[in-house]
Amino acid sequence: MQQVIVVNISDMKVSRKPGDVLTTYSLGSCVGVAAWDPKALVGGLIHCLLPLSTSSPLRAQENPYMFVNTGVGTMLKTLFRMGATRESIILKAAGGADMRGDDLFHTGARNTEVLRELLTRHGFTLAAAEFGGSIPRGLTLFTDTGRVSVKTFGKEHDL
Amino acid sequence: MSRREEILARVKTVEALPSAIRQAIDLLADADADMGELARIIEYDPGLTANVLRLVNSSYFGGLRTITSLREAVVRLGAGQVFQLLIACGVIPCMRAEIKGYGLPRGMLLEHSVVTAVAARTVARELGLTAPDHTFTAALLSNIGKIVLGTFLEVDAAPILDIVTRRGLSFEEAEEAVLGVSHDEVGAALLEHWRLPESIVYVVRWRLKTEQAPRRDLALDLVHMGSALAMMTGLGVGLDGLNYRPSPEAARRLGLDTAGLETALASVITALDEVRALFS
Repeated sequence: MQQVIVVNISDMKVSRKPGDVLTTYSLGSCVGVAAWDPKALVGGLIHCLLPLSTSSPLRAQENPYMFVNTGVGTMLKTLFRMGATRESIILKAAGGADMRGDDLFHTGARNTEVLRELLTRHGFTLAAAEFGGSIPRGLTLFTDTGRVSVKTFGKEHDL
Repeated sequence: MSRREEILARVKTVEALPSAIRQAIDLLADADADMGELARIIEYDPGLTANVLRLVNSSYFGGLRTITSLREAVVRLGAGQVFQLLIACGVIPCMRAEIKGYGLPRGMLLEHSVVTAVAARTVARELGLTAPDHTFTAALLSNIGKIVLGTFLEVDAAPILDIVTRRGLSFEEAEEAVLGVSHDEVGAALLEHWRLPESIVYVVRWRLKTEQAPRRDLALDLVHMGSALAMMTGLGVGLDGLNYRPSPEAARRLGLDTAGLETALASVITALDEVRALFS
């Protein structure tokens, strides 16, 4: 039976149960990363609030998923322990919106940049991504097929 | 009648606040008012009393020892703070509705407003500033104009968004271009109609245009930044998206830089579960 598992802000969930749907709402400047392994049939979804744990080291200790630099690696390690491999894992990501005319903080752009750098440094590539702009997004991973969809204002499309 | 006049006239048809709150507002407008009288008025409304006591006793609003009556709350916290929580409790029911024009399902306007209010207070705390009493309530009410535009008028957002995209305007500038009035001004008009204190109306009126505000105001700067943080979380963000401009001057006045903003954002998310439960 299909079960929808909601991933909150600064949260990560994994599943190996066929039919599970991992979903996260309201990616504003946050980034969401969906990871799926077609051989091991395991998937994970993370919703990171901020780029670097250096901004709040204590909070990073409590919850690594709050930050891109500590969260994404933790999710991948969890999936590898569940049988996923570097060679077959597929990564897709979305989010990183910024306020229109934000010349101050660029939190969304920095989240995106740190994610891209991190993945490149460790030899991963994004199979698909939808970043930037000024719109909030939802991100969903269907663990039976690996389909990833992005939802904006009630309209959904595959990533 | 112009579209602007039509919208502002519509504000006057919005249902009034519960009578206990209206009486409390009138009472507090009188400098010689007896604060025991404030407690007496509120206690006539058991639902409101229970809600105010729930907030007063929450750790988020600083309850150290259990307060069991409104009289005690008024004595302990001061009439000003009790009054702020009272307004928050009174207005919340009308913020739960679906807001069609802004693409907000039921509960989402309240969700976004609570995040904004928590963020405004958190920014102050992270920067070591004392937020004025009305900061939380003003932030909570900052999007209330959307109720009039989005629910009563069911404004079509498509032409507004079209201008945002084509001309690179912020959403409230585009609202003005299409409707002759923006939701922040409509919100301030509604709060004025409800005879809420000027300090709150002022913050709501200038929240998106801090640079044009006639006077500098700490609560206004805090709510402006709280609003920016709330948009960044994406929580309860509607069709207007993140199409607003954070003011560099307001950030500079507060001493808020990127590092400070990120620390505040982390604290907002951490505090949110507790505060959400209070307003659910």
